[in-house]
Amino acid sequence: MHDWRSLALGSLSVATGLIVWYLIGALNLVSTDLLAGPADVWAALVDILHNGYRDTTLAQNILATLGRCLAGFAAAAMLGVPLGLWMGLSRMADAAINFVIQFLRPLPPLSYLVLLILWFGTGDLSKIALLFMGAFPTITTAAMAGARQVSAQRIQAARSLGATPRQVLFFVVFPASLSTIFIGLRIALAGAFSSVVAAELMAASDGLGWMVFSASRFLRTDIILLGIILLGLFGMGLSRTLVVIDNRLIHWRGRE
Amino acid sequence: MTKTLTTRRRLLQGAGLGAAALAAPAIARAAPASANFAFFVSTSPFMIAKGDGSIEQAAGAKVNWIEVASGAEINTGMAAGSMDIGFGIGSSPTASGISQGIGYEVIAMMDNIGPAEEMTVRKSANIKSPADFKGKNVGVPFGSTSHFRLLGFLEVNHLTHRDVNVLDLRGDAMMAAWTRGDIDAGYIWSPVKSKMLTAGGEVYKTYDKLEAAGYVIADLIIARTAWAATNPAAVAAILAAYGKTLDTYAKSPDEASVIVGKQAGVTAAVAKADMAEYDFVPLKAQLTPAWLGVPGTEGKFAGVLKGTADFLVEQKSIRAAPALSAFVKAINTGYLAKTVG
Amino acid sequence: MRPWIATALTASTLAAGWMWLTLSGVVSDLFLPPPRELWDALLDLLQNGYKSRPLWEHIADSLIRVFTGFGLGAAIGTLLGLLMGYLPIVDALAAPFVEFLRPLPQLAYLVLLIIWLGIGETSKITLLFLAALPVSAVAARDGVRNVSQARVRVAQSLGASEWQIFRHVVFPSALAEIFTGARLAVGIVYGTLIASEIIAGTSGIGWMILDAGRFLRSDYVFVGILIIGFMGIALDRLLLAAEARWVHWAGRL
Repeated sequence: MHDWRSLALGSLSVATGLIVWYLIGALNLVSTDLLAGPADVWAALVDILHNGYRDTTLAQNILATLGRCLAGFAAAAMLGVPLGLWMGLSRMADAAINFVIQFLRPLPPLSYLVLLILWFGTGDLSKIALLFMGAFPTITTAAMAGARQVSAQRIQAARSLGATPRQVLFFVVFPASLSTIFIGLRIALAGAFSSVVAAELMAASDGLGWMVFSASRFLRTDIILLGIILLGLFGMGLSRTLVVIDNRLIHWRGRE
Repeated sequence: MTKTLTTRRRLLQGAGLGAAALAAPAIARAAPASANFAFFVSTSPFMIAKGDGSIEQAAGAKVNWIEVASGAEINTGMAAGSMDIGFGIGSSPTASGISQGIGYEVIAMMDNIGPAEEMTVRKSANIKSPADFKGKNVGVPFGSTSHFRLLGFLEVNHLTHRDVNVLDLRGDAMMAAWTRGDIDAGYIWSPVKSKMLTAGGEVYKTYDKLEAAGYVIADLIIARTAWAATNPAAVAAILAAYGKTLDTYAKSPDEASVIVGKQAGVTAAVAKADMAEYDFVPLKAQLTPAWLGVPGTEGKFAGVLKGTADFLVEQKSIRAAPALSAFVKAINTGYLAKTVG
Repeated sequence: MRPWIATALTASTLAAGWMWLTLSGVVSDLFLPPPRELWDALLDLLQNGYKSRPLWEHIADSLIRVFTGFGLGAAIGTLLGLLMGYLPIVDALAAPFVEFLRPLPQLAYLVLLIIWLGIGETSKITLLFLAALPVSAVAARDGVRNVSQARVRVAQSLGASEWQIFRHVVFPSALAEIFTGARLAVGIVYGTLIASEIIAGTSGIGWMILDAGRFLRSDYVFVGILIIGFMGIALDRLLLAAEARWVHWAGRL
């Protein structure tokens, strides 16, 4: 299928969606109290760009949400990748730590948000901690799996060439597990982005999630929809960025 | 191989720096701000002082305004030590917090709630007496002063949870449920209350009988004890700034309603109607035995808090309520006395 | 040293640390309840339930929502994904919506769902359904795409019909990825469940934690978190077992 054809069909699809959305309001199938139309959302966007929303600018909210998300994610990655690699290579490390990680992994972050706020306060620290706790087990598990599937032959070969354990880790294990690690990173980032909105539910004063919840208290569906669209676009953007980095870095994946 | 390694490293470094740059503001802000004040977005003269910066001026520090949706959030923030003052926390969560030994004290009242929080019933549900509530769906935000009143209403009229289906609904969820016809009644404050009234609802008066039965509810101003002790002048100044808004409202309610309406996101008319239902007890009147008492002598409100806490214990919301003396201790009229002079 | 000794060492260090922190009063009960309190809370929940409903009912409510939402979302999502993998037209038309919905934080559109669908089970199940759909669809689509073309050609040369090719070559081959997607979807749905129990209702294990958290009943909150954790592990194990049973050739491909 030619790329331009799928692009055209995709655009057609989106356009149809927009038209249906517009018609729902225009034909009063659903009252505009319950569902703002595209024009209202656009008007809200223009208004917020000029006047801000409750003393916060749109840029401020976007940066706050993205900043928290990336801070928690980066911390989880910087800690989780080395730890996971080590656990994949060392049975002792695995036995000592894995059971804690596997218990944390299926725990939905929102369930312990209140505890994190109690421990870390109502500022950004508790929110970043929430994102960290959500992303860390996934990334660690992925790094573990990645390290495990590195062919033992490769490691042996490197060792026989006189490589030190550090060199083996850095030049053989790490690159070979990169593809699995990236799968984990992509899943973790998606989860972190979801969680950051949940984290902005309690005691937040900025952020796209805060904007949506704040607007919901006054049933401003136009701002709610604006927030959702922005969140979706940024979510797609973050996802795409990782995919692009993934493709550029792991260019040899197919050839293994 | 080395060339691709370098390119890879560069890409990774770039990505890392990019992430760090975006994350830096978030990490920087994770360090404690100068003063953290929690508040509710509500139709109340308080919003005037927030909006014109007079409270921030009085605080003498940069104020980080934290918007909350429930008293429970304020309790959590206070317990974590990351809130310094809470404006408008309900008496019900306050009683809960004091019972659990959270380190804050009541420094003033914002208002005596009276008819401002009330039961709104759907006209078509034909509810004329307490017995008519049987089998109906009633929405209320759990843990709030409205919840306290509703539970009191059920208690006083010998209705149980099996008779009446009580649903935990925050403001926006309640509005949606009302619009869709999922609930027959809702116990809450404005703006949701006034919206329900204009959308096929009518008032079902409960507050007078409940107040007589002792179910008094109020909105309070609390301060983290440690913070207040180290900033007594600021606390007094803040209370003075708040007192000024009460004067403004008393003298020119229309003007005040315009400002409050803008801050709360409602029209001036709605703001005026909402505020008319609250009893904004003037600062001087708070310093009497009828309310908070004076330094050295307790007021009736300590008893109200104690009664609220006991009720919460009965409902199994909190484990235990301390003796009256704990509540007396938790009301600190010292700052108010300094303000009023 | 045997591995299990390492596990035991970590576990006992954590337990000891916990007991010391709570019993020595370094940390208040509010932040970290002592083991005794958690035990009492668990017994209380088992005997008296939470807010006049037995504990198992809360757990059952949550599980029913998870299974219904996940079941519908994974089934329809997989179907959609198979279609997307087979028919480029379907892919081009559906892709924008799937790709937009996938990274969209669930709590953000939960508000809209309540407004449109009310406070009952419908909005909750719909939320879970929408959470599972994109992941399942993408997994199924990728599963179809990654089928070895050599195999398909062999089947074609043997005279197999389109349907037979699907049933005997494409579908079994894609099953592995479909299951991976399913495990991912369950995780997302399970997390979204907590979000969905914030709205109206007086039941569910997620609601229990939120309600207990409002009154700072950290003991109930902790017990609830532990229950949620074990439930999550059980769900994942369930899917792993199903995967092992039905995709037993995954290794041999």
